[in-house]
Amino acid sequence: MGAKRLTSADRIYMVLNYSVLFIFCATALYPFIYFLALSFNDGYDAMKGGIYFFPRVFTLENYAKAFTNPLILNSFYVSIARTVIVTVGSVLLTALLAYALSRKGLPGRKYIVFFFFFTTLFSGGLIPTFILFRQIHILNTFWVLVLPSLYSFFNAIIMKTFFDGIPEALSESARIDGASELSVFARIILPLSMPVLATIALFVGVGVWNDWFTGQFFIQNEKLHPAATFLNKMISEASFQSMTSSSGNSGSAIQNMTESQLELRGVTPEALRMTFVIIITTPIICVYPFLQKYFVKGVLVGSLKE
Amino acid sequence: MGSSKLRKIWYFRHIYLFLLPAIIWYLIFAYYPMYGILIAFKDFKYNLGILGSPWAGFKYFEQFLNDSSFYDVLRNTLSISALKLIFGFPAPLILALMLNAVMHGRLKRVFQTISYLPHFVSWVVVVTLLQKILSPNVGLINDIRYQMGLEPIFFMGKPELFYPLVVISDIWKGVGWGSIIYLAALTNIDPHLYEAAEIDGAGRWSKLFKITLPSLTPTIAILLIFSLSGILNAGFDQIWLMQTPATLSVSEILDTYVLKTGLQQGQLAYSTAIGLFKSAISLGLIVLVNYISRKVSEVSLW
Repeated sequence: MGAKRLTSADRIYMVLNYSVLFIFCATALYPFIYFLALSFNDGYDAMKGGIYFFPRVFTLENYAKAFTNPLILNSFYVSIARTVIVTVGSVLLTALLAYALSRKGLPGRKYIVFFFFFTTLFSGGLIPTFILFRQIHILNTFWVLVLPSLYSFFNAIIMKTFFDGIPEALSESARIDGASELSVFARIILPLSMPVLATIALFVGVGVWNDWFTGQFFIQNEKLHPAATFLNKMISEASFQSMTSSSGNSGSAIQNMTESQLELRGVTPEALRMTFVIIITTPIICVYPFLQKYFVKGVLVGSLKE
Repeated sequence: MGSSKLRKIWYFRHIYLFLLPAIIWYLIFAYYPMYGILIAFKDFKYNLGILGSPWAGFKYFEQFLNDSSFYDVLRNTLSISALKLIFGFPAPLILALMLNAVMHGRLKRVFQTISYLPHFVSWVVVVTLLQKILSPNVGLINDIRYQMGLEPIFFMGKPELFYPLVVISDIWKGVGWGSIIYLAALTNIDPHLYEAAEIDGAGRWSKLFKITLPSLTPTIAILLIFSLSGILNAGFDQIWLMQTPATLSVSEILDTYVLKTGLQQGQLAYSTAIGLFKSAISLGLIVLVNYISRKVSEVSLW
């Protein structure tokens, strides 16, 4: 871009533009700073209010509590197991599907693609899905957290679009040399597809890590509740407390139950909630910026295909 | 079918094998529940199964069509979707345009990265945030009000505030992520167009309306198709978590109503009937909107 005289109108727009962007980004970041401060602050002191950016009475008690409490730890184990299994499984299975769909000349391809595409337009709904889970005996088991999350048509299309961009010549020459489809897939396509595999892994991983619904409505066994479901239980109790009392420390039955369940000792439920949020969110915040260039590019490729 | 067709299938046999797990999965998890829709037409009992349960015809459809709470729920759903469409749909586009105007590459990347932070965070966390900020006893805003000597307000229990809170939090959460696709489309616009316009003396608004927006039309159209056809989904996760007993008159949407009547009250057939109603209308909508889009702008999903 050549040198241009900036008019005063240009300058005003620039200032406005940067200000709004800055303010928006501040609102996106601030809540986490707030929660971070609260998580490192003594819970009873926090109840007095006035904590905005930094802890006033620093303590590691909340984190100690979170990392040693069996209920909390358990929910994290469930979430981690679920996320790892589903991410690896889904990425591999979806890649297999996407590769198959990308093979030109496959007889019946149009119908096959429609078979998968149609499911994005219409679905059975909640109750039929529930009945299905019941009939195949995955309700109230770990598998209800895994099996239904294995495939997503949108992810398959993103991968397929990427595979379409890999030069045909590479796989063709391998095939001519006698390589099997599986060989071509594993040795040629996959290694070249790391960006899209990483992107889909991120999407799947985040989706499954953040899913609170499945655990909440399809599993009664609290030992199998993932972290997001556990957090939901923690905050429903919180909102019940806010509604039934005007002070933060009422004698309501639910609060007492939480306190005895969690064996609190100088750690308030509220502080624990904040800590839990930080623990549950930090892995994602640490991972996604590194994959940013991949998923941004992925959308670019996808949008070109449109 | 000639033998060359059969030979082709044999040639691709491994590919069909690759497709097999996916086909099985979809048959089980996507297509079988569609068969389960029959429950809406039956007096379903678990022990009798879907086929064994007696027919009930359209009884449950009549039930919800005559149920006044159903219409309230439908009204709420459409209101929320409409508000999200009016205020929420343009937001990512505006953000993309603003990000695009940032000259420093590094700063732009930083703004971008931060802007999608809310997208990656669960609604449970976002609602925790909302509660934390708006709570009458431990919330941030009421804390400030208290310091100023004002009375606390229980924001999330006020029906009149529910829609604004829903729309604003939805925009906050989705605008960064939504802007990605617009930013990608913006990079595809030929810079020479802008240069030529400069030479012809076009100002910034002219460039915006005559070059930028028209170039973005395909992207906008596709996203609009998705948004319009999803009008009966008002955002289950968010709404369910944000509902309070006090706001139910405005916060009960189709999906939350289906869940409550089905999984909580056990009215399986009634719930399925409403679910079917919603799915069928959504399917009709997407076909209709796609058709209109194709006629009007030549952009469509298929």
